[in-house]
Amino acid sequence: MGIQDKIQEKVNDEILHNNLKGFATSYKASKINAYKGLDFEALRTRVHDIKDRDLSKVMEQFNLFKANVEKVGCKVFQANTGEDACKYIADVMKKHNTKYMVKSKSMTSEEILLNHYLEKEGLHPIETDLGEWILQLANEHPSHMVMPAIHKTRQQVAKIFADYTGEEVDPEDITGMVLIARRFLREAYFKAGVGMTGANFAVAKTGSIGLVTNEGNARLSSTVPPVHIVLVGYEKLCDDFNQALDIVRVLPKSATGQIITSYTTWIKGRVPSHKNEDGVKETHYVFLDNGRLAFLEHPKFKEALKCIRCGSCANICPAYEMVGGHVYGDRYIGSIGLILTALYQGDAAAKDILKMCIGCRACSFNCPAGIDLQSLISELKLVVGKKYGINPIKEKVFKNVVAKPEKMKSLLSLGASFQFPLTKTNKSNGEKIISKVPLLPKEMDFRKFPALSSKTFTKLFHKDGYDKFTSKRKVFFYPGCAIEYFYPEMGLAMVKLLNKSGIQVDIPKSAACCGIPAIASGNPDNARTMIFNTLDRLNDVEQYESLLVLCPTCGGAIKHEFLDFTSNDPDRYKKAVLLGDMVTPFGKFLEDNKIHFKVKGNKTVTYHTPCHDERSLNYSAEAFLSSVLGKQFTHLTDTNVCCGFGGTYSLDFSTISNGILDKKIENIVASKAEILVTDCPGCVMQINGGLMHKKVPVKVLHLSEFIDKYVEQI
Amino acid sequence: MSELDFFLDKSKLVGNDNQILSSTEFLTFLEKEDFEYVNVPSFNQLKDVQAGEAGIKNALVELDYAIAETGTVVIDSLNENKRLATCLAEKLFVVMPKSKLVSRLNDVADFIEERTSDMGGYVAFITGASRTADIERVLTVGVHGPKEMTVIILNDL
Repeated sequence: MGIQDKIQEKVNDEILHNNLKGFATSYKASKINAYKGLDFEALRTRVHDIKDRDLSKVMEQFNLFKANVEKVGCKVFQANTGEDACKYIADVMKKHNTKYMVKSKSMTSEEILLNHYLEKEGLHPIETDLGEWILQLANEHPSHMVMPAIHKTRQQVAKIFADYTGEEVDPEDITGMVLIARRFLREAYFKAGVGMTGANFAVAKTGSIGLVTNEGNARLSSTVPPVHIVLVGYEKLCDDFNQALDIVRVLPKSATGQIITSYTTWIKGRVPSHKNEDGVKETHYVFLDNGRLAFLEHPKFKEALKCIRCGSCANICPAYEMVGGHVYGDRYIGSIGLILTALYQGDAAAKDILKMCIGCRACSFNCPAGIDLQSLISELKLVVGKKYGINPIKEKVFKNVVAKPEKMKSLLSLGASFQFPLTKTNKSNGEKIISKVPLLPKEMDFRKFPALSSKTFTKLFHKDGYDKFTSKRKVFFYPGCAIEYFYPEMGLAMVKLLNKSGIQVDIPKSAACCGIPAIASGNPDNARTMIFNTLDRLNDVEQYESLLVLCPTCGGAIKHEFLDFTSNDPDRYKKAVLLGDMVTPFGKFLEDNKIHFKVKGNKTVTYHTPCHDERSLNYSAEAFLSSVLGKQFTHLTDTNVCCGFGGTYSLDFSTISNGILDKKIENIVASKAEILVTDCPGCVMQINGGLMHKKVPVKVLHLSEFIDKYVEQI
Repeated sequence: MSELDFFLDKSKLVGNDNQILSSTEFLTFLEKEDFEYVNVPSFNQLKDVQAGEAGIKNALVELDYAIAETGTVVIDSLNENKRLATCLAEKLFVVMPKSKLVSRLNDVADFIEERTSDMGGYVAFITGASRTADIERVLTVGVHGPKEMTVIILNDL
């Protein structure tokens, strides 16, 4: 099944949809509660620092761990590949002449497909984590790292249990089902000859492992059978218990919103075990490489090895919420799943799923290990895009149109002149839209498209004489494609207001794209051309107070991506750094310059925080609007969650985009606001298009237009 | 908020029954209740049993430390019968001399290190009953281990 079919199947799965939606809401609330009174940024910086080490440090930790456990008679095996690890574990089982192994939850064992291997050898691993057991019986794999069976309903579980036990199972009685698991798995612990666990920590100082669980199954798996096998990746090593406990502080909070799990267990090697002849447990440690040691030396991808497996990158991912972990990931799921699939299974396995990241950066800001997940995904997208190619139509458009600013200008102005048979005025708000896009597939028809502006922003800027306004105080404005070709009124509203405050606005001589569409599509060569085009068209910054943007995505590109793409070109790099430092969203400029306003009229207003305002430019206009509007302002639930636009993402993955937009619209309707303000033309295009399509009479305005129309300067 | 209040707050949050008793009251309580497994060295109370597949009704153990930050009890469980009892009892009772309360997780780092320095070590943090939310995210207790947990805080020790 192709990825689009898989997405479609999951989007149509109402059970999955409701489970994930319910979880997304409740998780956020519990997580906030669990972290109450704590400094999340400080905590995650600490975890990041603990995990920030190179290969030689990890090997130093490993050697100490190994010496500590071998000293007391434990076995340590270094598995280069998943298959090596599987074989070793099978051999231990065979040596002990046991068919059964009880297993607590281990994502590492999912990574190496351990159960599959053992079953082929005629051995029986038994998953003891309830969710994992359900999936083992159903012959499925986890769709979430800490809640593996989140995609199942109680009725489905009842059916699975009834088929397995031959007993009647009440499909409504969850407690009853949990008791069935208790009964069957209790028997398993006592019949198994081997118990296996993963490890959340391998503490070098004493050679101990740490296990974080809620059910207590890891305690039983490591206690009852006479043999204990620990399967662990090298990245779980840490120096001492202080480091491990600093990670324990964040792991459950980020995973499920619990302050701590029911059980955290610290085990060192050879504990008493009456089932062994010598009365002492036989313990094996299988350290898995499978690419880890190589990537510890990689300047960027080593970041992925800081993951503590909390799953929070899935919990807050708007795209994951639409499709779940069977599509959004592979053996590992969520943002880290996209990355680890590429690193551990190879880029061929990851090339399609990487594209599903919309680029909202929420995961990077939520990761308790401080991993900038979205940047890693973006980097990998460029790698697979270059290696496997991208959509050929897109590639042509990027190469022959977007990367050639003059061509783009003439083509779009031609489009603007000849689009009239297709355009109409939208009744509810009087905006010019495309009445029907020819040949548009049904799934893409979830929002109205704005018509191209008959004149570009640059043309209007000169025509209306804004280029004649001079002052000692000057700012430079980069309009970006959306303002230039679709929404010049947003730019003009800003220029008008600044001129009124005595500030001169200069703009580039001609427009060029910031490169983000090509970067997001994994097309590095054209992205570079676009970035160079833009950089070369931007004036030197010395004479300006700020580089203003009305599109935070363009602003974020100048601040961040421009640096990556100019790193081999010192002159351009220097210019990019200087420009990046000056990038300022319009709202922030007004606040910094203490330009005061009072509200006109009595409309209720709410605000959508664009992803890249908050997470690329570190700004949200919410506080500003709330102070200007007072009681007329109402907070939008999940204001900083993506609207589902993501540029061409909304066409490539229209079903996901539409699903994310639906949620945004639900929240907008619930806010009862009459006007939605935001400060990104992309968000305006998406949200306004969706509201018009659904005929919801809420007016959408860019911050600059809103200020122009609804407030006055005081 | 005092550290004990903080502990009680977190312990309550996970559904524990918390009782504050004096040593005398505790001894009376001990006489009334019938425990299958007891390991309370502070009162020289020991009753050994090896819990098996059928499990045991209840167990009473003394903790080594309690952590206010998370409402956690810390129990050295190297002794195999103690480990089995705390894993397999239907109801877990933990005796907590108030003086064993520390404020943060990191305050027990040295203790874990010491107890895992020899041939084997098994230090358990327990914060509530055995729980799962794996079916439709509905919280259910007693999936493998104890279905109830009681913390008896001795305010004069």
